[in-house]
Amino acid sequence: MILIILWLIQDLLTVFTGGGMQIPGLFMLGLVYRLLTDESNDENVNLWGIWSAFAGGILWDLRWIGIPGFFTLGYVVVVLAVIQVWGIIPPQSRNSGTGLIVFILMEISQLIPPLLPVLILGGAAGWQYFLTQQIYSLPAILFCIYFYNRKAKNRM
Amino acid sequence: MENTRNTAREWVHGLTALILGLFLLGISSGLGVMKSIVDLWGSILFIPEYPAVFLREMFIGWRSWSRDKNTLNDELERLRNENAKLRLDLAKLNSEKIYESHDNEIRTARVTLRAPMSWWSEIRIDRGKQDKITQGLPVFSNGYLIGRVSSVSLMSSWAELITSPSFMIPAVIEETRELGVVVGDGNGSVLLRYIPAGRGVRSGMKVSTAMIGEQVPPGLPIGQISGEFSAGVDGYTTYRIEPGADMSRFYTVSY
Repeated sequence: MILIILWLIQDLLTVFTGGGMQIPGLFMLGLVYRLLTDESNDENVNLWGIWSAFAGGILWDLRWIGIPGFFTLGYVVVVLAVIQVWGIIPPQSRNSGTGLIVFILMEISQLIPPLLPVLILGGAAGWQYFLTQQIYSLPAILFCIYFYNRKAKNRM
Repeated sequence: MENTRNTAREWVHGLTALILGLFLLGISSGLGVMKSIVDLWGSILFIPEYPAVFLREMFIGWRSWSRDKNTLNDELERLRNENAKLRLDLAKLNSEKIYESHDNEIRTARVTLRAPMSWWSEIRIDRGKQDKITQGLPVFSNGYLIGRVSSVSLMSSWAELITSPSFMIPAVIEETRELGVVVGDGNGSVLLRYIPAGRGVRSGMKVSTAMIGEQVPPGLPIGQISGEFSAGVDGYTTYRIEPGADMSRFYTVSY
C-alpha cells in the first residue's frame, strides 16, 4: 500500500512540475528501504520486491515514457542488485556499520532507472535532467538513511 | 541448501522479469495497441492527478500574474517618467510662447528713482497709465523678472522689486517641477521658500514663475538656485536664488 502511495506521490509531483524538474524516484526508494529493513524472514519478500519493481516500472513507463520496458528493466535490475548485495551480508551483521552500503544501494536505486532511457534516447537535455534528478534525490536518500539508522539502533 | 534454493528462485524470477521487460520493450514500439493502453492508463490516472494539475495551473496562473504585474509596474513607471518629461516640455513650450509674445510687444521704461532707503524694495519708472501700465504688470531686466508694478499714476509707476521683503510670488523649479514661493529679504537676497526637503534640488536649477500666479503669467524666468539657505524643522527647505538680472545695476527696465 505504501508503495502505491509513493508511486502516486512521485507521479503527482511529476505532474505538478510539468516535467520541468526531475522528481526523486520515491517508489524505488520505498521499495529498497522495505527490502533492506525487512525483519519477517519471509523468503517470498524478495520475489515480491522483484515483481513490485516490475509492475511499478511498467506503470511508470506507460504513464511517462509511452513504451513499457525502460524503467521496468531499470527497476528490476536495481532490486536484483539490492537482493544480491544485501544477501551477502549475514543477517546478524546488518544492524551496524552498514550505513555506507545502504547509501550505495539507495543511490543505485536512483542512478540506474533513469540512466537507461538517457543512454538509449541520448541528448544533452537528457543528461542534464539525469544529473538534476541525482541532485534532487540526495536529500530523499539521506532521509531514508536517517530512518534506517534509527530503526537499526532500535533493533540493537 | 534452502538458502541456495531461494537464491536460485530469486534469480529465476528476476531474469524472467528482465526478459519480460526486454520483450515488452522490443515489441511494444511496433504495437498499435500499446497506444490505447497508454491512453487508457493516462485517463485512469486523470482522476488522482487532477489536484496536481489544478495546483500546477494555479501556480502557473499566479506566476504569470506576478510577471504581468511586474511588467505593468515597469510600464507604469516608464509612463510616469514620460508624463513628467512631457509636462516639462509643455511648460518650456509655454514659456517660449510667453517669451515670444513679450518679445513682440516689449516696451522699455527708464528708472527715474531708486531711493536709498528702499533700495532693495522698489523703483519708480517713467511710464504710467497713459502708457497702458497696470498694477501687477511684471517688470524685467535683461529678460529676467525683477519685480511687478505696485502702483500706477498718470505718467509714472512704482514697481516692487523681487528683493523686497513684502514681495511674494509663486515659482517653480523647472528641472524638478517643485513649487515654492519667491520672497526677498530686503537686503538684496532672493529666497525660494517652502520646498519639501530631499527633492534633489541642486545649485544651477532654473526658477521661473509658476502657473498658479494671479497676475503674473507662468514661465517668466527669475534666476537660478545658488544654494541652500536653511532647512526648517517642518520638513521644508529654503533656497537662495541668484536673480538672472543684475539687481544692483539697471537703468532701464522692460515690461
